[in-house]
Amino acid sequence: MISLERPAVRAALRWLPAALAVTALAAFPFAVTKPYPINMGVVLFLAVLMGSAWNVLGGYAGQYSVGHAAYFGVGAYTAVLLFERHQVAPWFGLPAAMLAAVLVGVVIGGITFRLRGPYFVLASIAVAEIIRLAALHFRSFTNGAEGFVIASAPSIHLLGVELSFGTKRSFYWLTLALAVAAVLVSRAVLRARLGYLLLAIREDQDAAHSLGIGLSWNKNLALAISAALTGLAGAVFAGYTRFIDPSAAFGLDVSVRMVLVCLVGGIGRVEGPIIGAAILIPLEEVLRNPGGLETVGLLPRGSELVAFVGRWISPAHLLVDGLIMVLVILFAPEGVAGLLRRLRARRRESAAAAPSPAP
Amino acid sequence: MALLEIQHLSKFFGGLAANADVSFSVEQGDIVGLIGPNGAGKTTLFDCITGFHRPDRGEVRFRGVRLNGKSPDKICKLGLARTWQKVRPLARLSVIENVMVGAFARTRDPEAARAEALEQLRVVGLLPRAAQAAGGLPIGERKKLEVARVLATGPTLLLLDEVMGGLNPTESDEVIELVLALRKAGLTFVVIEHDMRAIMRISDRVVVLNSGEKLAEGTPAQVVEDRDVVAAYLGEAP
Amino acid sequence: MILLLQAILSGVLVGGVYALIGIGLTLIFGVMRVINFAHGELVMLGMYVTWLLFVKLGWDPYLSILAVAPLLFVWGAVLQTTVVNRVLDALPQNQILLTIGLGLVMSNAVMLAATSDYRLVSTSYSSASFDLGGLSVSYPLLLSFLVTVAVTVALYLFLLRTDTGQAIRATAQDRLAAQLMGIDVRRMSVLAFGLGAALAGVAGALVAPTYYIYPQVGAAFTLKAFVIVVLGGMGSVVGATLAGVLIGVTESLAAVYVASGLKELVVYVLFLVLLLVKPSGLLGKTRA
Repeated sequence: MISLERPAVRAALRWLPAALAVTALAAFPFAVTKPYPINMGVVLFLAVLMGSAWNVLGGYAGQYSVGHAAYFGVGAYTAVLLFERHQVAPWFGLPAAMLAAVLVGVVIGGITFRLRGPYFVLASIAVAEIIRLAALHFRSFTNGAEGFVIASAPSIHLLGVELSFGTKRSFYWLTLALAVAAVLVSRAVLRARLGYLLLAIREDQDAAHSLGIGLSWNKNLALAISAALTGLAGAVFAGYTRFIDPSAAFGLDVSVRMVLVCLVGGIGRVEGPIIGAAILIPLEEVLRNPGGLETVGLLPRGSELVAFVGRWISPAHLLVDGLIMVLVILFAPEGVAGLLRRLRARRRESAAAAPSPAP
Repeated sequence: MALLEIQHLSKFFGGLAANADVSFSVEQGDIVGLIGPNGAGKTTLFDCITGFHRPDRGEVRFRGVRLNGKSPDKICKLGLARTWQKVRPLARLSVIENVMVGAFARTRDPEAARAEALEQLRVVGLLPRAAQAAGGLPIGERKKLEVARVLATGPTLLLLDEVMGGLNPTESDEVIELVLALRKAGLTFVVIEHDMRAIMRISDRVVVLNSGEKLAEGTPAQVVEDRDVVAAYLGEAP
Repeated sequence: MILLLQAILSGVLVGGVYALIGIGLTLIFGVMRVINFAHGELVMLGMYVTWLLFVKLGWDPYLSILAVAPLLFVWGAVLQTTVVNRVLDALPQNQILLTIGLGLVMSNAVMLAATSDYRLVSTSYSSASFDLGGLSVSYPLLLSFLVTVAVTVALYLFLLRTDTGQAIRATAQDRLAAQLMGIDVRRMSVLAFGLGAALAGVAGALVAPTYYIYPQVGAAFTLKAFVIVVLGGMGSVVGATLAGVLIGVTESLAAVYVASGLKELVVYVLFLVLLLVKPSGLLGKTRA
């Protein structure tokens, strides 16, 4: 008899909504085959991956890096260079990308973790810029401003089946799997000893130090995890768009978007990047490419709204990013997750007689 | 061998000597009071002992191990821990999570850390508050939280920096009882305090600092009678 | 040898303009402790206003300063009152994110209005130069430098001799004490931001004849401005002046002796070294 008292049953029930959601998402490409929503899915899952990666260092450890594009780009270029120059399959290219990003991260961490607060932010931006300028300049290594165009799609052999990376659908499932993995990793970190130590560092570095927490060691560990996942995202992104150049790899907008996804959703919360991506990515993609709404039939062809957005907003869709950033910091710095939490706490407060915990 | 030995410790900031040639030792099981007017260098001394500042001259030895230049986390893991003059709760974490952070200095397992945290909360009397956010606590409970948290790290020697500041007499008494009970359980203490009543009650010995130098050392009764000590405090509201 | 002197000369001339940008940023930081990551976009706005006045009304860029300065001053005051004032007590990280957002809004708004096409302000003297003892001196750079000197001197006089200027300095030194002395610190913040924006705008007008003008041009100025402010000491106007010239020279020397494409990279690398070794800068007051 399945009783709700048994912890195993309760645990399964808790995971059920998430499992259902993931299954539905995985089944989606069988129902809808138009490229527009599939593409949006890929971009969204990558955003969840990158947001979760940033969250480990920025949200948990409180080290706001606005230069995470450094790891994204290093991952991208590593995978692309290995594939284009040495025909290394993604099977090895992806882990190599992660490793390269971690190595770069350790170096950057060693330099910048001595800095606190805004100085750390500035240094992270400077580092990403340095790498971008270097990538532009050292043409023999990186093809400079031209970047790389990947001609043929790689494929991997898994369990006797050949999975081609040529289709949008395979990238959809790959990125969905990576997003799920990233969220699980993020959650695992938060519940483990490391999570507590990182939060302590975030709340009060000196207090944490005095409680036996090694600052360098733990920050670097958080950075390693963060950089690895970000580098992975970069490599997959380069494989998906089949193109990489210094500004797509190391641009400030890449870094800003990672931060924004967490900011909107809720910095420091596991669900933050999910909520943030779910809000931002559809908004951004629609603003950037409103014609897609026509192709999926949500709007009639030749729609005036689409024409208006395409003419007036698409070329500057980052403006919306900027506006959202300003508004969120002004009115909801804890993000949507934080707002929900406060709402729930206030409802509990008015329901109960005793004072409830602070949000 | 004394548990803690401070030998000729000096610390300079610019041209100013915050600590000048301070020496004393602490035996296992002692409660040593550290007093002096504001600016005497008491907290700076704690900072030098616990690795937040590097002594410019002299030595700090804990169980014979030289502490100069070691980082604060290593010193904590050796068994020497401190609280802060201005309380430092990890505000957005809950009370029990705060103490768990301390417990993680001793264990890697979250379950064990939680059990240890619950025990320390019971010892200081904060169990009812376990799930509350630390930032929302009143000052008296924040001080207790800080003590519970640092106890969870499993110290042998505990440096308390004005742990009774801002407490009402009832709360102060609770802390005094706690310190005495912990000493009976084997802990050693160095306590910075302005609350003279507390110092008189709990200290075996008292060290007096003034303008960075050690002015006097002795039993509470001796120190209170010392003319230099009285002169240093004249005009100073404790 | 000539090459070295030439590089230094060009560097000093450009450095003057950099100094203007840095002074504006350090004023804002000194008075409000706000890290304004949209400062480069204020320069960019100055460039675009100059271009508009040049193209529509035929105004010479140096004349445009008379319009750019008040316009940017007002814009800065508006930004401060509506947005920046609300985050004075927020986490510094959040302040940076906020101003980054403001910068994005400004650069993208300009992109919408004027497209990303490169604009040029080609005056008759844009590429003119004259010979000075074997060294080639660029007219526009020299004029910019002279204007910069004039503006800086005027600013110093304002800060040292006028009541308002001294009130601003008092607020920068100790906000609480200034309040206790009866200074309206809110008004000082608005003034400081307006002044900072005006200086940035003037810098934009000055470089308009020699730079490509496009919406994203601000980004490089922002980071460079921060290098200057940190080097000179956050809050020190004199420091920013010296540091601006120093950075101009460094960049120029890097372009000649390392590689033209790496000149900014060299500046940023020095920035990292500076942050690690002496974050309070050459003349600066350390802030908590």
